[in-house]
Amino acid sequence: MTSSNAKTQRRKDAMSDWLRAFAPLRLCVGLSRTTWVAAAFCALVCGAMLYQHSAAAEHDPWKSPQLLALKEKLRAAPADESLRAEIRRLDLEFRQRYFRRLALNLTGGWLLVAGVGALLLAAKSAKRLTEKPPMPQRRTDAQALALQAAARARRSVAGVGAVFGTGLLALAFMSQSPLSDKAGEVNKVLGGGESAASDAPSLAEFQTNWPSFRGSDGGGAAKGDWNLSFGGTPGGNVIWKSPIPAIGFNSPIVWSNRVFLSGGDATKRQVFCFDAGDGKLLWQRAVENVPGSPAKLPEISDATGHAASTMATDGRRAFVMFANGDLAAFNFDGSPAWAKHLGVPKNMYGHATSLAIWPGKLIVQLDQDEGAPGGSKLLAFACATGRALWERTKPTHGSWASPIIVEAAGKTQIITVALPHVMSSSLADGAELWRAELMEGEITPSPIFAGGLAIVVNPSSKLLALRPDGAGDVTKSHIAWTAEENAPDVTSPVSNGELVFTVTSSGMLTCFDLKDGKKVWQKDLELEVQASPGIAGNRLFVLSTKGDALLVEAGREFKELGRAKFADLFHGSPAFLHGRVYLRGATNLWCLGGKK
Amino acid sequence: MTGEHRREEEASANSHSLSPAAGERARVRGKAVRFVVAMCSLLASTAFAEPRFPPPDFSETNHQIPITTTPPARAEWMQYLDVAVLAGCLGVALWFIYQKRSRRGLFWLSIFSLAYFGFWRKGCICAIGAPQNIILGLFDAGYTVPLTVIAFFALPLIVALFAGRAFCAGVCPHGALQDLLLIKPMKVPAWLEHALGVLPFIFLGFGLAFAATGTGFPICRYDPIVPIFRLNGPGLLIALAALTLVLGMFVGRPYCRFLCPYGALLKLASLASKWRVRVTPDICTQCQLCQHSCPFGAMREPSPGTVEPKLLAPERRRLGWLVLLVPALIVGGGLIGSRLAVPVAKLNPTVELAERYIKQQKSPVDYGLMTPETLSLQRADRDPEALLKSATDLRHRFWLACVAFGGWIGLVLGMKLVTLSLRTLRTDFEPDRGACFACARCFRSCPQEWVRAGLMPASEPPLNSVTGTAKP
Repeated sequence: MTSSNAKTQRRKDAMSDWLRAFAPLRLCVGLSRTTWVAAAFCALVCGAMLYQHSAAAEHDPWKSPQLLALKEKLRAAPADESLRAEIRRLDLEFRQRYFRRLALNLTGGWLLVAGVGALLLAAKSAKRLTEKPPMPQRRTDAQALALQAAARARRSVAGVGAVFGTGLLALAFMSQSPLSDKAGEVNKVLGGGESAASDAPSLAEFQTNWPSFRGSDGGGAAKGDWNLSFGGTPGGNVIWKSPIPAIGFNSPIVWSNRVFLSGGDATKRQVFCFDAGDGKLLWQRAVENVPGSPAKLPEISDATGHAASTMATDGRRAFVMFANGDLAAFNFDGSPAWAKHLGVPKNMYGHATSLAIWPGKLIVQLDQDEGAPGGSKLLAFACATGRALWERTKPTHGSWASPIIVEAAGKTQIITVALPHVMSSSLADGAELWRAELMEGEITPSPIFAGGLAIVVNPSSKLLALRPDGAGDVTKSHIAWTAEENAPDVTSPVSNGELVFTVTSSGMLTCFDLKDGKKVWQKDLELEVQASPGIAGNRLFVLSTKGDALLVEAGREFKELGRAKFADLFHGSPAFLHGRVYLRGATNLWCLGGKK
Repeated sequence: MTGEHRREEEASANSHSLSPAAGERARVRGKAVRFVVAMCSLLASTAFAEPRFPPPDFSETNHQIPITTTPPARAEWMQYLDVAVLAGCLGVALWFIYQKRSRRGLFWLSIFSLAYFGFWRKGCICAIGAPQNIILGLFDAGYTVPLTVIAFFALPLIVALFAGRAFCAGVCPHGALQDLLLIKPMKVPAWLEHALGVLPFIFLGFGLAFAATGTGFPICRYDPIVPIFRLNGPGLLIALAALTLVLGMFVGRPYCRFLCPYGALLKLASLASKWRVRVTPDICTQCQLCQHSCPFGAMREPSPGTVEPKLLAPERRRLGWLVLLVPALIVGGGLIGSRLAVPVAKLNPTVELAERYIKQQKSPVDYGLMTPETLSLQRADRDPEALLKSATDLRHRFWLACVAFGGWIGLVLGMKLVTLSLRTLRTDFEPDRGACFACARCFRSCPQEWVRAGLMPASEPPLNSVTGTAKP
């Protein structure tokens, strides 16, 4: 038993000796293997994450060629519902992938932390097993080495300085900036510099052209000695007519020898430029790819259309706005100047308000009757650059009337009508000058300014005259007169400075005295009228939707001077310039002669 | 005998018991593994990249994109908890360094700091970026520096003023992570160490100048360690992090030594510290083992006893010229800096937008629908006058900041050249006051420490002992 125990003990001792001798080796090998396994694990995780990352590049909503191609296709065919559905599906898929990848990255990150931790633990332990203890030797040349090291260090520090100096100098001299510290340069960029000032036409130039809806003051009256007639022919005194390639209910504008109008539908919206001399179509340009403009067009009533807003021009550029909220400018040679999207106007029948213009400033009235409160705005843009000059929120709802810009009470005022206010704003900064709560219903007739009074129409209800020298709420204080007979519902009034003429859509032509608003006469024309009447000299010009044109003397008695019939439909108001009348019909642009 | 000592003995014995072939194989494997890890880390860099993600194209459906919300501020008591933990850790670090002289204690403290300040607090709040808050608070009347930030900025500095870089030793999560990664430290040549040693000061100057303009905090933005704590970040930064970590396996604390701007401040404070770390409070036997034990190149040799007189005159002349060079470098740096406002200001988003806006006005570029570029230009179009004015003002601020930054670079380089021309009287091997991280590695390398700890009989002559000198 004793011998057996001794043998067992010897065997145990031998085993422990063997273990003592070989354990470190085995431990080292084990640790090395662990290190390798941990490294392989890390590599695997890295590989998986890298794969995820590379796959993600193809599914980036910014860059995915598939999605970009689909979006381009949608631009060309905005009504294609299947394309839209495919884009939505892909977009959703990319987003889901993105969040899945985020989760995977996080998990992968933690796995990497664990893997690297195990790897470090094993590698460090293996290193400790194999590391030889240091055996430093005494150095006898310490002083020389120290001096040498200091000299090298100085040179290296100087080298760092040289590298930094050279690098920074190169950076300084190679970089350029378009941002100038000089105030003049900044003004130039802002469109307020010398070049912009010289670019803008004078007010006199504006007044001798027909730059916006119903002329420079929006009154629809051309001053001067006109002698319009239809030449005794039933077809009128037509100088030329030119087909219009696209539908639109806007009116022509004329500057010198250029006539502009717009047209379009859900597929394409365009601007057309005609030669005023012979009616030749000089150019036509589509407004498309405006940044921010949605592919899907708003639902627009056919009675309004996509191009109901009349254009404006400053003699250098022609400006256009469509019902989808795209605002664009074209140079007179047809090249695009600028374009921007103002947001889709939310109006029951679609946006129809025309642009107003003043030297250097383009005014957009954006009254909206739907959507969130506070959506109605008045905006001003620099004509040259399209830069937003100011923007004011309006407390009003829908309107289809157009703003006018007039000089009244010592100020340049923008007068707008919308539900429920007539408002005047400063052209300088858009600040509200006065307002009157007078409007009801669907506001379509635009205001005019005549005889020092702002004439506004409460549709089918009243004709009102307001003194424009008030401040704040002038509802009760500044109404000069009110006429409650035959107020138009769609068309705007017109005045020769002594009398005011209105025509209802059923053809009731009425004359009021500008001083007191008393009715002077009325005449039922028995025509359907949608176009606002105009005055050239002492001739009142009335157009019916079915192509009738009437010349009436703008006097205290009704006197028909001529009548003509055109093979067209008229919704736009006439433009008068240089003895000629420009009419926009449904199919043709007409130029009628007349002597100035 | 402590556990650590026992392990060291065992390790030493084990290494001797391995066959040479096995040892060589293990070394080769180790190198291969490190290479694989390095490559994997670099590859992984892109995997963490955080892409920009566009808002959905909901304009046609009138979808209101929700306003981006920021998470609520951290509860106040939690902020004070952070400060308390920092103060506590600094106290414990000082105790381990000066009282216990325990590397092991500091190791576990750094593990805690790594977990708390690193992975749990995700590297924020952090002392390293705090100087930027302080400088912004000085230059921007509308910015109030939080008390916790002041505490994080000041506490480690105050400690450094009295007792050296205890913060770096075991409280800073950046240092802790790099300490853990260090597998095979390589000695950085002294000339390179000195050359790279100016970078933290330059980075500090850049960070402060940039923060003073109110543009951002580049020290935080370009911190290569924080993305590891957050397991996320921009691709470039992740690549930098991977590079730092791989480098950190072979070079001791590369970020702390060659980039950390707060370390530069701590270095300056430590130079004036009342107490300092000593390898041994007893007699230095000049065995050089401590020099070998320091992976950060912070151990300084004793200066030669006598100096050859013929060397002194040229050294003095050189020192004089270098002292005169300092103001010239400052002025030169300032002049170069004055030209840097244009390129550096481009980093400011307002200036960048203003420049892009002007370019767009001059020659319009179609950036596409709803891209960030288009949206930002639309915003700029609302009030370009204010944008351009703001950009011009900002560039003036940048001009001032860049002049100061250029002058600072000149000062740093000049002072470095001057200090490299000074002779330091040193009788023993001792840690450089500024460069020493107080990590306590050198303590147990010293035979005298073994004797003090009773791990070795006092009668036994220390290994490689030369001549001992008593501490003053």
